[in-house]
Amino acid sequence: MNLENTISNPQPTSLNRSSFIVSAIAIIAMSLVLLTGCASRSRFTPGVLRMNLGTEPPAIDWHITTDATSGDVIVNIMAGLTQYRKNLSAAPSCAESWEILDDGKRYVFHLRNDIFWTDGKPVTAYDFEYAWRRIEDPKTGAGYADFLNDVVNAKEINTGKIKDLTQLGAHALDAQTFEVRLKKPAAYFIYMTAHWATYPMRQDVVEKHKDRWTEPANIVTNGPFKLDRWQHDYKIELAANDKFFEGRPALDRIKMFMVAEQSTAFALFENDELDYVDNRSFSTHDVDRYRDSPYYKRVPLLQGTYIGFNCLKKPFDDKRVRRAIAMAVDKNVFPKLLRRGERPSNSWIPQEIPGSSSDAALTFDPEAARKDLADAGFAGGKGFPSVPLLYPNREDTRLIVESIQAQLKQNLGITIELLNQEWKVYLATRRQDPPQLFRANWIADFPDAQTFMNLFTTGNGNNHTRWSNKTYDKLVETAEGELDQKKRVGLYQQADRILCHDEAAIVPTFVTTQNLLLKPWTKGIEFNALDIQFFKTGRIDDSNESLNKVEPPAEIIKPATKPIEPANSEVKKP
Amino acid sequence: MFAFLVKRILYAIPVLLIVASLTFVLVRIVPGGPFDAERNLPKEIVANLEAKYNLNKPVHEQYFLYLGRLVKGDLGVSYKYANRTVNDIIGDAFPVSLQLGLVALVLAICIGVPLGALAGVNRGTAIDYISMFISTSGISLPSFVIGAGLIFIMGISLRILPVALWESPQHMILPAVTLAFGPAAYLARLTRASVLEILEKDWVRTARSKGLSKFSTVVKHVLRNAMIPVLTVLGPITASLITGSFVVEYIYAIPGMGRFFITAVSNRDYDLIMATTLVFSILLLITNTLVDIGYKFLDPRMEVDG
Repeated sequence: MNLENTISNPQPTSLNRSSFIVSAIAIIAMSLVLLTGCASRSRFTPGVLRMNLGTEPPAIDWHITTDATSGDVIVNIMAGLTQYRKNLSAAPSCAESWEILDDGKRYVFHLRNDIFWTDGKPVTAYDFEYAWRRIEDPKTGAGYADFLNDVVNAKEINTGKIKDLTQLGAHALDAQTFEVRLKKPAAYFIYMTAHWATYPMRQDVVEKHKDRWTEPANIVTNGPFKLDRWQHDYKIELAANDKFFEGRPALDRIKMFMVAEQSTAFALFENDELDYVDNRSFSTHDVDRYRDSPYYKRVPLLQGTYIGFNCLKKPFDDKRVRRAIAMAVDKNVFPKLLRRGERPSNSWIPQEIPGSSSDAALTFDPEAARKDLADAGFAGGKGFPSVPLLYPNREDTRLIVESIQAQLKQNLGITIELLNQEWKVYLATRRQDPPQLFRANWIADFPDAQTFMNLFTTGNGNNHTRWSNKTYDKLVETAEGELDQKKRVGLYQQADRILCHDEAAIVPTFVTTQNLLLKPWTKGIEFNALDIQFFKTGRIDDSNESLNKVEPPAEIIKPATKPIEPANSEVKKP
Repeated sequence: MFAFLVKRILYAIPVLLIVASLTFVLVRIVPGGPFDAERNLPKEIVANLEAKYNLNKPVHEQYFLYLGRLVKGDLGVSYKYANRTVNDIIGDAFPVSLQLGLVALVLAICIGVPLGALAGVNRGTAIDYISMFISTSGISLPSFVIGAGLIFIMGISLRILPVALWESPQHMILPAVTLAFGPAAYLARLTRASVLEILEKDWVRTARSKGLSKFSTVVKHVLRNAMIPVLTVLGPITASLITGSFVVEYIYAIPGMGRFFITAVSNRDYDLIMATTLVFSILLLITNTLVDIGYKFLDPRMEVDG
């Protein structure tokens, strides 16, 4: 008997038995799937907002964290001295009014007397005093400690030169009055009081629970929502705060998922499991699909991108070479490549901010570029060294740098090498020894030109160009302390022109935008240029009210025209 | 058996020490640090942070401090997730990966082994070709393709299963299938090869010639012996499945441990990198030990030693 043949051709009974078992399992499994899956469900729950944070917030301690994801949670559970209006001007919040004294070197905030923490205790000026001391305490290790460097003794305390925290120029004069003393007038200071780094904090809670104080069972907050549940790396749930001083928000609950994969998040949105998506969950391919939808919105962000030169390295120590590069790059190409509503930059200061001008930067002019390059000794690109352009390994960035490489080859006849590095390696390279060319961006911490212009002053830790210009430094320093808005704008415009035109230390490329797609039942959420999402005005309901009636299309949201003025009638002027 | 287990534990200590030491050195050689960010922190603030996490001390001191903590079961702190210890992170994430991994493992075994056995027993027939087509597809297709395909078909088009998230047992079906696909395919190929080899043995011929039914021969004798190579690979497969898969957890938004194998490195979250490596190593050692014990059950003639 040939056993091989027998084994290879088993008896029909055996085969049928196996097949039957396999088929039965498959049928049962499929039936279960279909039965469980076919249960009908509503497309949304009134009063419950579901959104995607993208990742786990690194921390909800507003002294420790510096990232936007954490900010999205913090700004919805806390309230500071002031808050941003939709047009990004500063409006009263915990402080119902404030005085600006001593030529802008002293601020006195008068707190409302009807603000309570979620445990029922009143919010007082002492909570602000404790918070501001804690952020400067070196033991806290606060990433935003330098945010308050303008406050008297802040830097000295944070660097350990002064050990006594009470020496900080921020004091509670009484339970309702908080005084801040500045080293020099800082026209942008009021914006800082709307930033989460300056929110109040409860000393007793922090000291009692130590590193665990931000867990839902321990944390005490004063904002429109309270932290109800935190499943790490998965979901945060906020619940409406009935005691919120501006009134209970319309939303009962916010579910903040942490879906990192963009396509998964968008599939959840399409499946009615998210109520809106933003850049974190909205790929360029999907933007293209929904561009004509009435529920597609676009908000310009205060996020500038640029090509930086290491101005100490040849050949970019010669400003003619830098100018040649700047004029050889057509920035109008970038929005066509990225297709997310980017706006080419004519100025390093985004156009939403006073100080921006439409002609601060060099414009595309290949002929003038070739002339400048020839003047620098590289006629027709001859003799120009092969220089690297450093960029992080992101798909959108790759498209940009490849375009720049091609444009420089075409317009100037020069070859640059693309140097792609993993994110942290890229950051380390840029910090330690920036190559001749690098691609970078900058996100505003607050809506003022200072946050962009201070970046390129001599010795700034984030000035990777190593560029130094005394006139520029002086203009920026003067503008920072100038309280006359008109003069201030003029100073920044002059500085911007030196940076992007005369000296061309950078080539501002484009300003990014937030792309949003909302479900018809998602209404009233405030999206602003700082990329902060406030949910206290949000609603989830099926009323017939049109979305566009609830809030104007994002494109027509105008910037504040007088950002440094407190702009509220309650403000007491000295 | 007791001596065997003691030997294995003693053998594990130097292995883990070497793994810990190598990882400790390697993560610090890689350029970039935990506090590098788009917005450079001032030197003074970086100094404060480094002091807070003992990163300002010489590397050898950091190493001994780490080992001292490790002996006490303290896996350290996360530099990225400031208010969480690594023990918290692993404690939250590992049970999720374990749950998903075990379901995927059962699925992989229940699908892969019968599929391979059927193919082996029916070599050269349509069943063989279909089985091998399925298993070749499982090995060739990356899990992100399978996952995306399943999300599209079952979640978006047919709407019979959730596309992602971790809310109910129903949410586990697609990720478990995606996770099981590759190992099931691998087990199927291995089982087929092993079954074919065993079927050539003289004792199988003897069993059949003595009148034992085909079904009994295959189930009781052939499969049992064919399982030895399968069992060998089940060790690393189990360790890999229950520590989570970055891709599967990422595309289905599952709060498991798999994602930390990648994100901890990209964040330069040193202690978390150490912890994920050590947890994986420990599980590998445990599953390999269990596999060795399993050999003894499958073939009592086998010697189990450390």
